[in-house]
Amino acid sequence: MSSVLESTMVANEQPDVVEAAMRPFRKASKKFWLAIALLTVLVVIGIAAWIYQLRQGMGVAGYTDRSFWAIYIADVVAIIGVSYGGAVVSAILLLTGASWRAPLVRLSEGMALVTVIVGAAFIIPHLGRPDRLLGMVTSANVASPVFWDMIAIGTYAFATFVFFLLPLVPDTATLLGSHPDELGRGRRFLFRFVSRGWVGTTHQRQVLHSAMIIVAIVIIPLAVSVHSVLAWAFALVSRPGWHESIWAPYFVIAALYSGVALVILVTAGFRRGYHLEAFITKKHFVRLGYIMVALGAVYVYLTFADLLPSAYVGESGPTQIINGMLVGGVAVWFWLFLVAGTILPIVLIALPWTRQISGIVIASILVVIAMWIKRLIMVIETSGYDRLTNSFGELFRFTWVSVAVTLGGIAAIPLLLMLLFRLVPLLSIAEVQEATEKTDEPVAEPSSPGKASHGHAAGAAGAVILLLVTIGVIGVAKAQPAYAAPNPAVPTAVATQATVAVTAVEKGPENTLTATVTLAGKPVEGALVNFYESTTMFAPGNNLVPLGAVETDVTGIAKVTYVAAVTGPRTISATYFPTVLGDPVTGTANLDVTEAVSQYVPTPPRALAEAGKTLVFGLFGLVIIVFIILIAQVVRVRRACRPVANGSFEQAPTT
Amino acid sequence: MIGRDRSDKRPARRVDLGLTPVDRGPTPVDLGLTPAGEELDMSRRNLLRGMGIAGIAAAGGALGLIAYRDEAQAATVEGASGQEHQWCRVVDLRACKGERKCVSACQKRHGLPPEQTWMRTLSWHDESGKEFFMPVMCQMCQNPPCLDVCPVSATIKTDQGVILVDQDKCLGSRACMAACPYEARYFNWNEPAPTNRMPAPSPNTPQFPANQIGTVGKCVLCADLMPYSNQLPSCVEACPRGAHFIGDLVTDVAVNGKSTVRLSTFLREGNAVRFKEELGTNPRCYYIPGNGQPVGGPLVGVK
Repeated sequence: MSSVLESTMVANEQPDVVEAAMRPFRKASKKFWLAIALLTVLVVIGIAAWIYQLRQGMGVAGYTDRSFWAIYIADVVAIIGVSYGGAVVSAILLLTGASWRAPLVRLSEGMALVTVIVGAAFIIPHLGRPDRLLGMVTSANVASPVFWDMIAIGTYAFATFVFFLLPLVPDTATLLGSHPDELGRGRRFLFRFVSRGWVGTTHQRQVLHSAMIIVAIVIIPLAVSVHSVLAWAFALVSRPGWHESIWAPYFVIAALYSGVALVILVTAGFRRGYHLEAFITKKHFVRLGYIMVALGAVYVYLTFADLLPSAYVGESGPTQIINGMLVGGVAVWFWLFLVAGTILPIVLIALPWTRQISGIVIASILVVIAMWIKRLIMVIETSGYDRLTNSFGELFRFTWVSVAVTLGGIAAIPLLLMLLFRLVPLLSIAEVQEATEKTDEPVAEPSSPGKASHGHAAGAAGAVILLLVTIGVIGVAKAQPAYAAPNPAVPTAVATQATVAVTAVEKGPENTLTATVTLAGKPVEGALVNFYESTTMFAPGNNLVPLGAVETDVTGIAKVTYVAAVTGPRTISATYFPTVLGDPVTGTANLDVTEAVSQYVPTPPRALAEAGKTLVFGLFGLVIIVFIILIAQVVRVRRACRPVANGSFEQAPTT
Repeated sequence: MIGRDRSDKRPARRVDLGLTPVDRGPTPVDLGLTPAGEELDMSRRNLLRGMGIAGIAAAGGALGLIAYRDEAQAATVEGASGQEHQWCRVVDLRACKGERKCVSACQKRHGLPPEQTWMRTLSWHDESGKEFFMPVMCQMCQNPPCLDVCPVSATIKTDQGVILVDQDKCLGSRACMAACPYEARYFNWNEPAPTNRMPAPSPNTPQFPANQIGTVGKCVLCADLMPYSNQLPSCVEACPRGAHFIGDLVTDVAVNGKSTVRLSTFLREGNAVRFKEELGTNPRCYYIPGNGQPVGGPLVGVK
């Protein structure tokens, strides 16, 4: 079908969007149920494989100590990543007033919601002990990036839900009005609950529009935060390949790139399945394709920017990681990603004769698969690099368990989408109608008067989130070895028979040990005396700690001054070897130390530890503000829908 | 069954690990039930209708439970405090000949499978083909990256400076394995063999870890031995050449099972270094550089 024909259809014939939105609610075809059954089987196999993995341990999924992070974390990153594509198509296009987004928004928002849930669920097979997941709340460690992953994903998922829910209010009301009998009891109940009080007044539409703008503003920094924190789960450790400052924006772009690709695929699938050709035209695919290609080009640039500095400097770890990508263990996958995942899609969309719906869909399939591969190699290569031997261990190998779990999760995405859009309308009826009206005659756009101020507030909140998150990095510590102490010792001594008399005197923290060596009543000069103190550390009896060796002077006296590390009684001994091989002569004395100075200095706090703590509380405050903003939008819309006596509409609280 | 948990017979003797966070957040913040602006000027009942209330409550409630795990978590082992002991390790590389007896003693002592070595002896060859050895175990960092990244606070630092894993709490996220610059952590990918623990019977505590499936394990400095008996860590006892020392920074004493040294003197005279000093982990493991030279000092190492 030519695009010219389709666009004229939109403009002139005005296909019945309500009728189209009702299609999924009617009796489904055999093919539909066959697809549902097939996908369900895949999901069930995946769950069964996961249960097997729970019983046997993660070893059956191919995990080893040299692939401690592998396929499941790559699934988390890839699937939550595509969620962002749904949000961006909807939110950014809403904010820029691109009315062509109208037939795509419900599909892309639904895709965002489903993928964030499935992606977050992949954390469960990733964990060794998912039964202890509650520990993330009951004994949370807020210094952990994984904790903030949970917060960021949770907040973003809630925002995605609100973003999906709000536009349903007018649509469900429309369908309840036009096809009350065809909906079925369950849907009727749900639609009544969602659309309660909506009659479509100007005030209601204004409030809804303004609420949507605010949610769209909030959801963009939230999605950025999700992918940044996911990146920081890797970048906040000092492993080569992961410890890269570029990783947060790199993940965000990767998410957008693969996400737009999945939006194209989902749109193409539902367009074909429910015959939405009248609403979704080649024009939509081409525009999405352009967005995708632009993001792909940025991604290639960032990949180069990521690799160049390390490759140029040539530090062992990063160099080996890059070498592994270019010619080593994961080279096949890396070049497959680069050619099939970036160059080929760009070519497919750049050339006019492949810039057809089929070409764009093929490009999107390539992008989605290649971006998953890229995430996998990013994870398994660095994980496989042993930082002690500076070499690669055996890289991750697929097993049927990990493949089955991954396929099950991937199958859950279309399955949940197909079921979701049997429950709620798959086209944003209100927006499509509005967009169609606008193409016919420019009607006064219900742009909200509160838009600027709310937008400002939410935008500022988003900016502060980004700023704070950027500042927060872990401090560097100062080393402080515990050195110090007395004299070195040089062996060898000469003499025949002797006695050693010892005295030990404490004066302040210093203890003076004196040994007098006599031989037949005469002092011995030049005798090497080893001084020791006794300790009960590490041994049941007394251990002798050497304090130094000193030669006696003319009067036969050797003296050592030392500072004891601990207080308490001890035995001081002085040993003298009259001959090299003969028995030692030892004298002892008791010393009760009352003043001691330990060489131990406690570790100083890390340089930026305080900043980290402040950041945590700032972030918690921001998360709460975001939730308040989101809930406030739901409440606003609900309030606008509240029926009021004597027919006048309640005024929105003036700002 | 997910892992046969041995935590069920935890006796009363379980040491107080100070797992209660030292640094609790302030009292849970106001949940925002009071109006925060004109938009929120509405009754509480209205707000309750808002569907996100549970989310906010969870976020607010979490504030009371969290801990910022940057600080030493006080863990008292039977009354001994951080003022009495600060454990550390010294490895005298001058004495090490790469016999790996420390490794096998450790494996035997902790009942570890061959692929899970809490201690490894690395080796290198120089240009002339001469081999160098270096045993590496958990370096007991005082700024431990593994502790920072653990999402469930399962990695703990005792106030005597020992880093331990609470295997009853470990979520198996392996963030610590990613964070450790010394590759000192191992995961129980499959059901581990029953742990050979001493002194038996011993409780399942971080000091006496009973390896559990789906959790992480690492060198415990044989911290289980020190407070209860006078046995030295198994690697220290096993080394026939006295390369391994266990030391205490407070009392300034280190032993290798054959001789005793004044720690500070020994480190200074041996020009002790720490592994990957530049990472700022502040490890408590010192290496005396060398490679089989005759050992200096009258009473140091093996004669």
